[in-house]
Parts: sequence; C-alpha cells; structure tokens
Amino acid sequence: MVNISSIEMESGKTSILHSLDGRIKIISSILIIVYVVYTTDLIILSIMEIYLLALILMSHISLGYTLKRIALILPFGGVIALLQLFIREGTVIYTLPMGITLTQQGLDFGLLLLFRIVVCITAVVFLSSVTPMQDLINSARKLGVPREFSMLLSLTLRYLFFFYEELKKIRNAQKTRCFDIRNRRTTYMWRLKKVGETIGMMFLRSYEQGEKVYFSMLSRGYSDNSNLYAGDKKLNIKDFIFISITLSLIIGLETSHYFSIV
Amino acid sequence: MHVPDGLILFPQYLVYYAIAIVVIFFALRWARNSLDERAIPLLAVLSAGIFAIQAMNIPIPFGTSGHMMGAALIAIIFASPWAAVLVLSIVLILQAVIFGDGGITALGVNIFNMGVVGGFVGFYVYKGLKNFNGKAAVFTAAWASIFFAAIAAAFELAMAGAFPLDLGLFYMGGFHAVIGLIEGAITVVVVVALQNVRPDLFSLEQKPSEVASK
Repeated sequence: MVNISSIEMESGKTSILHSLDGRIKIISSILIIVYVVYTTDLIILSIMEIYLLALILMSHISLGYTLKRIALILPFGGVIALLQLFIREGTVIYTLPMGITLTQQGLDFGLLLLFRIVVCITAVVFLSSVTPMQDLINSARKLGVPREFSMLLSLTLRYLFFFYEELKKIRNAQKTRCFDIRNRRTTYMWRLKKVGETIGMMFLRSYEQGEKVYFSMLSRGYSDNSNLYAGDKKLNIKDFIFISITLSLIIGLETSHYFSIV
Repeated sequence: MHVPDGLILFPQYLVYYAIAIVVIFFALRWARNSLDERAIPLLAVLSAGIFAIQAMNIPIPFGTSGHMMGAALIAIIFASPWAAVLVLSIVLILQAVIFGDGGITALGVNIFNMGVVGGFVGFYVYKGLKNFNGKAAVFTAAWASIFFAAIAAAFELAMAGAFPLDLGLFYMGGFHAVIGLIEGAITVVVVVALQNVRPDLFSLEQKPSEVASK
C-alpha cells in the first residue's frame, strides 16, 4: 500500500543516506532532475536511473515499493509518451490496420520522454523516502525559502496526516451505513451529492481545525513575527562526499557525451 | 493534469517558475492584508484538508476516476483568487515533493495552470454570473476553472513541442470538459452546504470596504 504514512515510515529508517543533511539531498535531487530534463541521451538517462536505484537499495528501501510508487504516478506522462508513436511525422516503421502508422521519430521521442519521466520520478521517490517531510521543509527554509512560506508548508504537513485519518473515519462511517460510491443501484447524481457532502464536511472540519489551531497557537505566544525552529545542524564530511559523487557523475557523463564517448 | 518533469524544457520552465514566484508573493500579501495574523494557521490547515480532498477518487461514468481540484471552491469562499493561488501552490508543492505527482521542474507550470488559471477563471466567472443565479454561477465557475486549466496545459505542452496543439486541445479539453462537470456539481453541493451551516465564512466578501475604512 502506498500512502502518505508509508512514505513517512520509509523515511524513518536508518541508513547512511538517511543520515545525510536534508539540504544536500534536496540540492542533489534537483541537480539530477535538472540534468535529466536537459539531456537527450538514453544511455545517460539509464545510468542516472541505475545510480538512483543503487542509492535506493543502499538506503534499505524495498525496490518493489519504489516501483509501485513510480507506476502510480506514471499514467499521465506515460500516455503522452506513448501517443508520440502515432502523432510524430517521419519514417514509417509499422502500419497498423485503419491506416495508423508508427514512426521512428515518434518512437525515439516517446522513449526519451518516458525515460526522462521515470528517472525524475525515481529521484523524487528517493528524496522523499530518505528524508522525513518535516526535515525537507526545514532544509528548504535553510536554503532560503521565505519564513512565511516555509511556515505554511510546515503546518500543512503537520495536519496532512490528521486529515487523511479524518477522511478515513468519514468513509468508514459511510461504509457502516452501506454507502458505496460505486454502487450502480443508486443514481449517479445522488452519489455525487453524497461525495459533495463528504467534501463539504472535510472542508468545514479543516476550516474549523484551522481556526482552533490559530487560537491555540495564539495562546502559546504565536504572532506575525514568529519563526520556525529549524535546528542548527552543520554539514559534515559525509555530506560533501555525497554531493561530490553526484556532481562528478553528472559532469563526467556530460563531458563524455560531449566528446561522444557515451 | 499534473504535468510531469521532462515535457517542458530548460528555458521555458524558468518562465513559469518566475510567474509562480511573483504570484505567490502577491498571494502572501493578500493573505496578510485580508486575514491578518490568522492567515498562516488557517490557510495551512485548510491546505491540508484540500490535500486530503484531492486524494479522494471519484468514479466517472466512463469507468475511470478523477479527483477534485478545489481552486474555484476556495476562490469563491474566500472571495479572492489569491486564496486559491496560495492553497493550490502549497498543495502542488507538497504533491510534487512527496509523491512525485507533477514534476519538480514543472512545478511552476502546474502552479500556473491550476492555481493561477484555475483560481482566477473560477473567481471571475463566479463574480460575473452570481447576480443571475448563484448555483449556476458556482457550477460554471468550477467547470471553467478545470476546463481552462487544461486548455492552458495543452498550450504549454504545444509550445514546448511535446504535444501538438490540435490533439492536445481535443483530448485535454474534451476529457476535462467532462471532469469539470463533476467538479462543478460537487462545488455546488459544497458551497450550498457551507452557506447553510457556516454563512459567516462567506463574510469575507464584504471585507475589502471594511479594511479600506480602517
């Protein structure tokens, strides 16, 4: 099962990669993603994917879990990549019945898109699996995200789990009353109305919770100028080694691509 | 409609990032001015709720399922498109970083489509129509917020050379014209329910004049 708690549980494991500083992991992942979006070489993309999967294995995160998470996100991008086969003009490599043609250019471009999307998702899965969410926000704060905005993100994160539970509770209660969102014996409009009411309820609960949280923060001394405590962790040698490895991999791949070795 | 990484390339995604940053700056300013210091806790907790609402799959007659976006809903309740921009930005950032839903380099694009286009279209359609018929205005606003966000995405993908415009408009537009009907219906139910239970939530609508007189 892939849900928000399972992601957070993975990030609570211990490994050398989990112990790296959040800032280093954010910067490395962004570097990888930016490079992957830039490059057009399938071999380079494959090497990056292998590097990321190796990192994931090193951090004791199950491969099956990683693949499941990638598969969950893939549909939208995957469909766009797949459709390239049919819509690109170029050398026809195969003709399907009804005059649908597959082209070489479409295949090349589609594969490139697919590889890119998969590597980028793997990078995000890696990042979120080895870094607790709150640590991500604190690191982003240290990297220069404005105070107010990181506070918003941090508070949102804190209540995400709460509202997932809340939604589960509402739905369990509906189940005990034999409500089934896919039951075709009731009219579609009626079901939609019930879903709307559920969402309205969720909205109301989150709004009222928001007001409550504000008052309780106020009574504990919160004001406009309050700041988020982000801890004071210094970078150590491990962090520098990790980012150097990532950076030299990228630079190495790009130079060898430039001199057409890869 | 979460655009993944890899479809929109280097110089282009920076443009959307620049737009997103400017827009978030204005949205934060709106929050400070009209919600005072309760802005951060209130909007943060509300974003968490919207995040969970978006995780709820709703069956669509053709056998697939979709989920709610909520941009029009937030814009209507807070009587400002900036509220939608802010809440959707938070939700999209967390979705991108935690789930990988929507790319990191494509974050600016997604904030632009769903937050800015969704929020502003939703708000101004509602504002333009609400004097004729409240429910119809809410429905049309929510439908338009989805439809035009999808149309914006189709244009962006075409400009990036990832997907031809005619097919993009046809598929993205067609699919989201249907999804939009569901968003519209649900938004109406939610707005009507909230008007019955907490009519005070809509009081922000009168606030600008109050703020001005202070």
